[in-house]
Amino acid sequence: MNEVFVNMGQIGVMSKNGILTTVGLGSCVGVVLYDAYSKVGAMAHVFLAESRKDSNGALTPGKYADTAIPALIECAVKAGADRNRLTAKIAGGAHLFSNFGSNSLNVGSKNIKAVIEQLEKANIPIISQDTAGNRGRKMRLFVETGIVEVTTIGQESKEI
Amino acid sequence: MDARLDFLQELGNIGASHATTALSHMLSGKRLKLIVPKARVLSFSEAAQFINSSEDIVTCIYMQVLEELKGHIVFILPIESSINLASLLLAENLTGLSELAESALLEVGNIMLGSYLTALSFLMKVRINPTVPVIAVDMVGAIWQSILANANVVDSVTVIDTHFSTTYTQLKGHIIFLPSDNSFEKAFSKLYQGLVLEDVE
Repeated sequence: MNEVFVNMGQIGVMSKNGILTTVGLGSCVGVVLYDAYSKVGAMAHVFLAESRKDSNGALTPGKYADTAIPALIECAVKAGADRNRLTAKIAGGAHLFSNFGSNSLNVGSKNIKAVIEQLEKANIPIISQDTAGNRGRKMRLFVETGIVEVTTIGQESKEI
Repeated sequence: MDARLDFLQELGNIGASHATTALSHMLSGKRLKLIVPKARVLSFSEAAQFINSSEDIVTCIYMQVLEELKGHIVFILPIESSINLASLLLAENLTGLSELAESALLEVGNIMLGSYLTALSFLMKVRINPTVPVIAVDMVGAIWQSILANANVVDSVTVIDTHFSTTYTQLKGHIIFLPSDNSFEKAFSKLYQGLVLEDVE
């Protein structure tokens, strides 16, 4: 089956069948939007909560929660999804270096909060999530079924 | 090559030499092979893909570097290497990493990264104050991504990467230093001026 990898800060979209995969989710949050009727799935690998411009003035929407969610909706709709049927699944936002003080390296929890806020603002229900904790994750969306598989080391993969 | 990168590469060489010498002492004088460091400026997407096979499991010891020279420094070794190293340190035949093994590795990382930074501090005549080291055992991609996010790398980043290995026991790893650009420029000009003044005298 066709598998497309979504790198950090990027957005991927697929329809009908195939797999959208993102690996190396630490403090980053993987966001999946899915329309079960048209079988359109879109995935983002969000790096930080708030957007800012690159030094050359460009903006990469997929990097930041506040720009990634609107861009993700646009991509899904362009690929044939109905805006009102979109549902979301999210994974990631971990705190890998758990012996660090609680107020540093809390990038993960900030990311989760920002992603949830943006999805609420866009009125997209989050139907399941596997977030926080202190383990890195791999996330795969099976576009035909909308099933999202989350893998962490030392554990069986789970469906969310 | 860019003089600045050349200089950084040399710093990486000296820092990593000190770090691996410290490790060699802990391994009762066994020799380690050091591969010439690479200093590069990476764009965000290059930085994102800097680590290959991002699902591989590694042990990583990480410190933030504060004061005059700021940045982030990490010691990364594949899981098999970290088990071999911990086995040597604890004189046990380990098959996985116990809490004690992790704590031993954390201490080795602390000593190695400390040696690296002390060498830089001495060489550049700058004060360096590393934070308490932290450890994670996880997918290398997730670890690298968390460090980039913590370092707030949203654009380009300078990376000095030095690999080393030893055949004594199956052991390899690398040390990556991410100097924060601004603080580095300051330290660089301070050092440069110092040299000019000495020449004039």
